[in-house]
Amino acid sequence: MNMERTSTIKRDDGLWLLERMRLVRQTSQRIAKLYPTNVMETPVHLCIGQEAVAAGVCRHLGAVDKLFLGHRTHGPALCKGLPLEKLMAELYGRTTGCSHAFGGSMHLIDVEHGLPGSSAIVGGSIALGTGAALAAQMTGQPFVGVSWFGDAATNAGVFYESMNFAALRRLPVLFVCEDNGWSNVMPKSAHSAHDITSVAAQFMPTSCADGTDVLSVYDLAGAALRSIRAGEGPRFLHCKTKRWMKHQGPDACDLPDNGIDRERDCPIRKLEAFLAKAGLAQANEFSALEARIEKQIDAAIRFAETSPFPSTDLLEV
Amino acid sequence: MPWSKFDSNHEAPKGDRTLTYCQAIREAIDQAMCHDPRVFCIGLDADDKFGVFGSMSDLTHRERVIGTPISENAMTGVALGAALSGLRPVHVHLRNDFLLVAMDQIVNYVAKWEDMFDRQVRVPLVIRSIIGRGWGCGAQHSQSLHGLFAQIPGLKVVMPSTPYDAKGLFFEAVKDDSPVLFLEHRWLYKNTGDVPTGIYTLPFGKANRLHEGGSLTVVAPSLAAMHCLVACEQHGLDVDLIDPRTIKPLDLPTIVASVQKTRRLLVVDYDFPFGGFGAEVCARVTEAAFAHLDAPPQRISFPDRGMPASGPLERAYYQTPDRLAAAMRTILEGGCVPVGAANELSTR
Ligand SMILES: Cc1ncc(C[n+]2csc(CCOP(=O)(O)OP(=O)(O)O)c2C)c(N)n1
Repeated sequence: MNMERTSTIKRDDGLWLLERMRLVRQTSQRIAKLYPTNVMETPVHLCIGQEAVAAGVCRHLGAVDKLFLGHRTHGPALCKGLPLEKLMAELYGRTTGCSHAFGGSMHLIDVEHGLPGSSAIVGGSIALGTGAALAAQMTGQPFVGVSWFGDAATNAGVFYESMNFAALRRLPVLFVCEDNGWSNVMPKSAHSAHDITSVAAQFMPTSCADGTDVLSVYDLAGAALRSIRAGEGPRFLHCKTKRWMKHQGPDACDLPDNGIDRERDCPIRKLEAFLAKAGLAQANEFSALEARIEKQIDAAIRFAETSPFPSTDLLEV
Repeated sequence: MPWSKFDSNHEAPKGDRTLTYCQAIREAIDQAMCHDPRVFCIGLDADDKFGVFGSMSDLTHRERVIGTPISENAMTGVALGAALSGLRPVHVHLRNDFLLVAMDQIVNYVAKWEDMFDRQVRVPLVIRSIIGRGWGCGAQHSQSLHGLFAQIPGLKVVMPSTPYDAKGLFFEAVKDDSPVLFLEHRWLYKNTGDVPTGIYTLPFGKANRLHEGGSLTVVAPSLAAMHCLVACEQHGLDVDLIDPRTIKPLDLPTIVASVQKTRRLLVVDYDFPFGGFGAEVCARVTEAAFAHLDAPPQRISFPDRGMPASGPLERAYYQTPDRLAAAMRTILEGGCVPVGAANELSTR
């Protein structure tokens, strides 16, 4: 179905999406591989299988736009522009990490690239993207706020309260629900009686993307952000995707009915098939890209490994 | 009142039967639910396969275990409403940090309800919550905050340090007709100890002397108590170690009597320093036994800043039995220790 889809996407954009998704995928896989050796003393919430959401949305964001994340940070942070070596160094607990070794995996920041911090208390950061949008509106600056959260965060009151305020004040904010269908091992059917998009539609225009298809996310995020930037108020983007991994840690998802077919549902494969069919790129480019990213990851890990740990002198009495 | 027949029994048994801290809590929950059909458990992930780190696995009355969405504030209100309607809820949280999301319900509603209506209604609600630490959990997944909660009138704050205490204090909490915050430390979960098989209660406000000594009184709750015990035993320190068991009510008489004997006080408290439990104990002892003190009361707490994530910083941020032993030795030799032992970091 997706391979037959038509898209007017340009080669540049298509290759950017592929490159970012591969960066997120291969980095996540490398983290999963190294994690059992205990070089990263921090909980990791990986997003293998969910890469399309991060890439598809972030392609439309500039460094001035402010993105607020929850605990599942790596994908959107890398797509927003967080340099890979700063992520790896943070996971390795080194001073060169993006949060100077104080944050760990769940608390990433990159002020330069419009990532003013992320929170591990589910829900709260939905309000922060809304606040960024308020600042943009009050100061007349041309940036948008983006609140990024999972399906289960829609059970927190702050979700409704933030959407209501954003709608009342017509704030330039995009609410992105990265819906992987699970809250740890609790399926959506057990945590949400509501249909997420229908609820959001009470407050603002919504759209529903296939979060395993980056072109779907890219198209709908682009339309939503164009409308936000045109001053038409907040928008809600629902991206239904699939979590291939356990909630936390380096292992594959072992839930009985996770409905994942890694061939069918792979956002990278889907995009490669589309680009090849549309004559926008060729197979040898894909393998070259994969190899280049592996080298980039090698270099980032070397950077992390050779960076200093923070001095404990600071803590000694 | 089916809970009134159980006697208070605060002498630890010997050679009865060994359980882990986690198993003791699980057994207490199971027996409480079996004993009293009004007791039910509610909480995020309370009903999943992990069973709240094993503390709620394989309960007899699964039908009275209710999983909730990530809606801690509303769910606290739900638990309060149920408590006001004839049930005895046990609301569980995987981390203390998540309690902060429910602060409005906990502080404005749960803690205040009895006072606002002059106790015409009672609030038999237990809020169980688990303190995390380490592995880069960071500033939002490692807080204890018992000092903050103890500041609120209407909340009892209970912090068991041993399996025996955990089980007995849990029954006391469920039996109580007023709100109780029951704080468990994740790092105590694997500790083992003798635990009676039946139902028994331990009174709130009754401290436990973990180590006998004559030269320094150390007051330490929860994990800090166990670390101080290791420090005293491994380093042969002449320390009177008092585990308060409950932060509020506080067993001041036991602490004061100890200070009158030793003439020195140190509070070791794994929480933030400013206006905290350590400060409270020092103030109370100073008020009650100023003339008996040979030296200013001292405190060891977390540094006055959020928890860092990186391994080396974490290891420096948190106390260990060896570092505590060194601090106690310093005090025994007449010296002073800084409040947050990682003070420099806090003032950066
Ligand atoms: C207020 C709060 N309650 C509970 C948790 C524990 N917790 C961390 S992630 C998570 C599941 C979140 O699911 P969702 O929002 O759908 O995001 P996903 O993990 O699927 O990306 C839970 C319950 C938390 N971090 N914060």
